[in-house]
Amino acid sequence: MMTSAVNHYFRSSIGRKHLVAITGLLLCGFLLGHLTGNLLLIAGPDAFNLYAHKLMSLGPVLYLIEAALTAVFVIHLGLAIKLNLENKKAKGKYQMKKCTGRGTTFMSATMPYTGIVLLIFIILHLMNLKFGTNYPTTVDGVEMRDLYRTTMEYFQNPVNVLWYVFSMICAGLHTAHGFASAFQSLGANHPKYYPKIKLISYLYAIVIGGGFSFLSVWAYMKGV
Amino acid sequence: MSFNLDSKIPSGPLAEKWDKHKFESKRVNPANKRKYTVIVVGTGLAGGSAAATLAELGYNVLSFCIQDSPRRAHSIAAQGGINAAKNYPNDGDSIRNLFYDTIKGGDYRAREANVYRLAQVSNNIIDQMVSQGVPFAREYGGYLDNRSFGGAQVSRTFYARGQTGQQLLLGAYSGMMKMVAKGKIKQFSRREMMDLVVINGKARGIIVRNLITGELERYAADAVLLCTGGYGNVFYLSTNAQASNASASWRCYKRGAGFANPCFTQIHPTCIPVHGDYQSKLTLMSESLRNDGRVWVPKKKNDERRPEDIPEDERDYYLERIYPSFGNLAPRDVSSRQAKFRCDEGHGVGSTKQAVYLDFRDAIKRDGQETIAGRYGNLFEMYERITGENPYKTPMMIYPAVHYTMGGLWVDYNLQSTIPGLHVLGEANFSDHGANRLGASALMQGLADGYFVIPYTLSNYLASSPLEKVTVEDNAFKDAEQAVKLQTSKLLGIKGKIPVSEFHRKLGHYMWDYVGMGRNEAGLKKAIDGIRKLREEFWHDVNVPGETGNFNIELHKATRVADFLELGELMALDALERNESCGGHFREEYQTQDNEAKRDDEQYAHAAVWEYTGQNSSPIRHKEELVFENVKLATRSYK
Amino acid sequence: MSSAQNMTLNLKIWRQNNNSSEGKLVDYRVENVSPDMSFLEMIDVLNNQLVRKGEDPVAFDHDCREGICGMCSMMINGKAHGGYKNTTTCQVHMRLYKDGDTIVIEPFRAAAFPVVKDLAVDRSAIDKVMAAGGYISANTGNAPDANSILIPKPVAEEAMDAAACIGCGACVASCPNGSGMLFMGAKVSQLALLPQGSVESPKRALNMVYTHDNLGFGNCTTHAECEATCPKGISIEHIARMNREYLKAAFTYHEKKRSEGAG
Repeated sequence: MMTSAVNHYFRSSIGRKHLVAITGLLLCGFLLGHLTGNLLLIAGPDAFNLYAHKLMSLGPVLYLIEAALTAVFVIHLGLAIKLNLENKKAKGKYQMKKCTGRGTTFMSATMPYTGIVLLIFIILHLMNLKFGTNYPTTVDGVEMRDLYRTTMEYFQNPVNVLWYVFSMICAGLHTAHGFASAFQSLGANHPKYYPKIKLISYLYAIVIGGGFSFLSVWAYMKGV
Repeated sequence: MSFNLDSKIPSGPLAEKWDKHKFESKRVNPANKRKYTVIVVGTGLAGGSAAATLAELGYNVLSFCIQDSPRRAHSIAAQGGINAAKNYPNDGDSIRNLFYDTIKGGDYRAREANVYRLAQVSNNIIDQMVSQGVPFAREYGGYLDNRSFGGAQVSRTFYARGQTGQQLLLGAYSGMMKMVAKGKIKQFSRREMMDLVVINGKARGIIVRNLITGELERYAADAVLLCTGGYGNVFYLSTNAQASNASASWRCYKRGAGFANPCFTQIHPTCIPVHGDYQSKLTLMSESLRNDGRVWVPKKKNDERRPEDIPEDERDYYLERIYPSFGNLAPRDVSSRQAKFRCDEGHGVGSTKQAVYLDFRDAIKRDGQETIAGRYGNLFEMYERITGENPYKTPMMIYPAVHYTMGGLWVDYNLQSTIPGLHVLGEANFSDHGANRLGASALMQGLADGYFVIPYTLSNYLASSPLEKVTVEDNAFKDAEQAVKLQTSKLLGIKGKIPVSEFHRKLGHYMWDYVGMGRNEAGLKKAIDGIRKLREEFWHDVNVPGETGNFNIELHKATRVADFLELGELMALDALERNESCGGHFREEYQTQDNEAKRDDEQYAHAAVWEYTGQNSSPIRHKEELVFENVKLATRSYK
Repeated sequence: MSSAQNMTLNLKIWRQNNNSSEGKLVDYRVENVSPDMSFLEMIDVLNNQLVRKGEDPVAFDHDCREGICGMCSMMINGKAHGGYKNTTTCQVHMRLYKDGDTIVIEPFRAAAFPVVKDLAVDRSAIDKVMAAGGYISANTGNAPDANSILIPKPVAEEAMDAAACIGCGACVASCPNGSGMLFMGAKVSQLALLPQGSVESPKRALNMVYTHDNLGFGNCTTHAECEATCPKGISIEHIARMNREYLKAAFTYHEKKRSEGAG
């Protein structure tokens, strides 16, 4: 067993938790970057479209990044599902209904559910926006996709806005537990720092959940 | 039949006896050790350390425990600490000093050579336990910290918060688990020893009950180590765990092992008082509390005021008054007795008037609540959880309770009983504490026996006695198993009306009232008579429901109580025959003018060793004379 | 001690004959329960009632009854040890309940802890995890003088915090995932903190986690319900330390097979 310690690592409970944690943190980073980019919506169509264009013109590099992101997401999702199924089995027929109120939180208890919402959200999100209607536009003489219009149009439907806000609340709940928990899983729990990590985790969740939600509502209010 | 009570104490000067003995003992070479199998019953400090050490040496060890895991043996509940003669605090301690304190604390009823050896190996125990990762309390410099315990004027007690026993036991358990993983120990949990199998005069195996399936199982070996603890639960209410029982020892006694000084029981002065009929156990508050707590009662009889309302000059700090040099740290027997005297005189407090105060007011004033919480926080919490009162504000109420039994199966210097091959370790034997054990010495003795004594003496036994091969198919095994089966079906067949625990409770009343802190001839006779009647009643009217073939908790209790009902009588008989007071054995007829124990060294400087002669005949009392060459017998004084 | 009124309680107790049979909750009524009684004493009273009626008493694990042996278990109203802070079942007292209360009593629930009978479960999996490395390989007689190993007080105290584990399994029972990370983490962490124990730390972490995973315990998802339920208040910081030890060990521990040679 010793010689295959690394091998075993990727099959062990802790090793896989590390992977979920690392991929989770990477996804957190992506989300933050995504939010920052999206804030350009407020700056107007040109700024936003230029930004989107710049990203899309990265060509092969973009595909690489997208492939990596997909891999990270798939690992995160796949392992989370696998660990969860194992956990259900480890609890036997009996599932916990009551907790002391000092440990399990609403956030931690709903991780699988918020995760599923996010999965559905991401699929719809890609279909509706990334692979949504492709309007052409020209900024500073350069032809590019008018992603600003696609986005703003999407948010004119209140159902879309509601679904988006709901999903982003789920994202906030998911990361509020996940962000700090990732540090714990990776072994970074120290009485001096962990309370701060927890605080950052909550702040992060509010920024992500609140930020994206705000943008969708802002887009709805602003109209096309 | 007569016992050979040769103590086998080596000749020569006291300090050299153990070294000389080790040198003269026969050894088993490493290749041969793996040919021997040793049974270890019990996994407390003595059993756990013995099993681990013998397995490390190469013996095949079969280890048995009554709980669901060896880590739960009752050694775990010891709170305060473990003594050693390290002299780290530089307060004048030495091996000789620890030896002397222990002999004196035991009221000169223990063997010099055993006690000296105990003091000698005490230091190795601390080294060993630290190496195994026991997180003893430390000073800021990283060195080990010590505290004081009763009966000593030095600080020689090592401790791990209020959980020293737990930490030491988990150390011994971890050593065991290491050898379980290596396959040298086969560990059997939820097994209760039901009988000893003796073949050609030697202990060669045991019969156990698998508590889950109810099946009886046979195990054969070259030697049997009994590490099954004390018999305090004969009193029904004690600080012992619920499963702590005397059956293993008692069955060995019936197979020919001598039972020494059964009447020597220790009543611990600081326990939470009894408060109801339904009560199942008494909880100890560590003796270490007496480092800072002051024991007192109101000077006025039947004082109904709240303790906080009683002014200083109306309080009787009786331990400080009577024993100015030891004060609140007077030994256990002395402190318990004084508490009883105060309550008998009508100074007792609480709803039952069977309690005294242990007050931390002055310590909190002196050192601050935080410091006191640092020292005893977990004990204070436990007290509050049980009683619903906050000891930072209101003094604790305490009363003595049965805690430890100094008596036990007789063993020689090699820890071997009167049955060759049956070795007895820890509280189960009688050897080191005489008539009273000092605080923090039980852990020391258990580990000394298991780690540093038995490995030498057992190899001597194995190497010097021819042991023919035996299997569990031997007739002796069949007969022993048959006898257990018979007893079981008899118990299940009575179908009486009264639950087992009722009998146990009644036995406890006899024991506490007449064989407890104060004993006298009339009372002891009454107890013997009463216990006999109770035993008869038990065998006619006990109700043990269910059958053998499963986890039958009432049956488990019934076999234990059946043995307690016999042992209780022997304890009373032993107390009756010992016409003196010494240590925990206080005969009211024999006391000094100021109510101290009055020994009779002319007549009773011996261990009384009882021999079983059959169900319907009286046991025979033998004597092992105690020889004191190195200490002068003196009246024990803590004034 | 309080002298409040005695209570009558309705109990729903899990009865199951053995591991292979089905179990169910059975209703019982206990009268005259004193608020000063411990929870287990209340069950003693019930059992005496049952025995007098010739019925099978409720099997449950218990031993020291002072909160240190780790033998007592039970889910009380769905919570391990009743869910009170720093309290084992044997230290739960009836003054925490009211007259007329209904109390649901079940065994510790986890796949790694199969039911033995009624409220008693088989926790031998804990021993197996300990045997996989929860020790320091210091054979008797090896030890240097105790004070030759200096340990800073805060480190010794932290090790003691972890060492306080009583192996009751409440962490597993209360974990929504049935994970054994807290009791295992406590041991790995205790020994990793101490200089004597850090020598074998990598191998210990690898072996214990490997064994834990194979015994049917679940994975940690940092609910911290274990920490909240632990009768000894052991922090999940110790799980984090184990995670670190494990990470380090998985990528750096290397032991080449070598022949010991003839002497």
